[in-house]
Amino acid sequence: MSKDVLVIGGGIAGMQSSLDLADMGINVHLVEKLPSIGGKMAQLDKTFPTNDCAI
Amino acid sequence: MLDVGRHPNIELLAYSEVEKVEGQAGNFNVTVRRKARYVEEDRCTGCGACAEKCPTVVPDAFNEGLGERRAIYAYFAQGIPSTHTIDADHCRQLNGKKCGICAKTCQAEAINFEQKDRFLELNVGAIIIAAGYDVFDPSPIPEYRYQEIANVVTAIEFERLLSASGPTGGHMDRPSDRAVEAEITVLEKKAKKSQKTLDKFEEKFGEPSAEFYEKFQAGQYKDDEDRQKWADKYTSHLADTEPLEVLKNKAEGFSVAKRLAFIQCVGSRDFRFYPFCSGYCCMHSIKEAMIAHEHEPETTSSIFGMDIRAVGKGFEEYKIRGGNNSNITYVRGRVAEITEGPNNNPIITYEDTRERKVKSQEFDMVVLATACAPIKGIAELAKTVGVELDKYNFVKTSSLSPVDTTTPGIFVCGCAESPMDVPESVAQASSAAERAAEIAFQPGNEKEKAVA
Repeated sequence: MSKDVLVIGGGIAGMQSSLDLADMGINVHLVEKLPSIGGKMAQLDKTFPTNDCAI
Repeated sequence: MLDVGRHPNIELLAYSEVEKVEGQAGNFNVTVRRKARYVEEDRCTGCGACAEKCPTVVPDAFNEGLGERRAIYAYFAQGIPSTHTIDADHCRQLNGKKCGICAKTCQAEAINFEQKDRFLELNVGAIIIAAGYDVFDPSPIPEYRYQEIANVVTAIEFERLLSASGPTGGHMDRPSDRAVEAEITVLEKKAKKSQKTLDKFEEKFGEPSAEFYEKFQAGQYKDDEDRQKWADKYTSHLADTEPLEVLKNKAEGFSVAKRLAFIQCVGSRDFRFYPFCSGYCCMHSIKEAMIAHEHEPETTSSIFGMDIRAVGKGFEEYKIRGGNNSNITYVRGRVAEITEGPNNNPIITYEDTRERKVKSQEFDMVVLATACAPIKGIAELAKTVGVELDKYNFVKTSSLSPVDTTTPGIFVCGCAESPMDVPESVAQASSAAERAAEIAFQPGNEKEKAVA
């Protein structure tokens, strides 16, 4: 049995899953295809419905 | 993002892909390919000196091709990890030409042209697929002429134009105007260079080029080789400066886009492409129109759609606020065609279904609210990992277990499962994390029990 978790994709969903698992004390391996994590959300300027900054 | 990069329990494997998955829930053996960056991750400080000196200019994918980057680059300024990457398709050195400027510039000695892809073996209990989505490419829709009309852009391109860190610094400069400005820069550079040569001739012969050229054309200096060169240079200089003046006059009339149109359901709710509703595009367009109005208070926006789907906490209020405070008009009706009018202005022909009339309206820029398409490569990934996809190529789930794939121990969240917005993605991500944790903390394993 392995306790580690593999997360494929470093966008908002992958980052949130990774952080939740890591905060529970689980080792996470986060694999991202592109050179940096952030995904589509990092490309957004602001987010609805609060117009908060996306990054 | 920063939290992810810093967390002691997260091993960040950026610029990597999953190659092979074997085993079952609780015990998966995974092979990960760490693609060669040609930059040593542990040495690179992310200072960016290499990118400043790199001679190769490439369109910037992060800015949807609206900006430029170098062949050695950071994907975006705040990117985590901040390690730079060499784009092997464009790097001169890696394509057999003489260069290596980045290696000479790098004080940390992080550049390594010999780097190869590395393979990493992992043993994990559970897998979460959060592969995301692709922005639908509207090129196949003939009536919107996305490829032909410069000022028809996609919502994500418009997002980059709105962004203060984007290619226009947050000004809504129209793509057609930016193309003219780019041409001006090129011509100015050329004219400056030829002017320098002309100056040398003028100094040598002691008369201005224009006066000399008149005499030359009148038949003087026929056998003078040097003066022949001068005349040739002067004609090519004129060939650059004349269109330059025309373009400069044109550019004086440029202003930021103030009349915006947003077209909803581009590729979604369309039986030619994707019949499903992508969910977030209505709100996305309202948000973009609101931010555009914030940047330039004279901006007016028309949102063309069958209906505005503002389903979510605070969404309907947001839509009304946009209409009241941000000059947004919601037009019910689908757009039949976009054509190009004077000054590269797109003209929209549509049926106003409330008035039952076919109308035409001119805009400065048109934004296409493109569908959420399944990500390219998801079929290969699904095969590698061993999960089933639905008929559109999203990861297959059932309505009562929306994060469980068809394979136990493998979960899915975000737009890899179906189109969804940020709050939904976050909620589903936490849900998938919890399902994965159930496996990690399964009783019967003493080590896990102690941690739990």
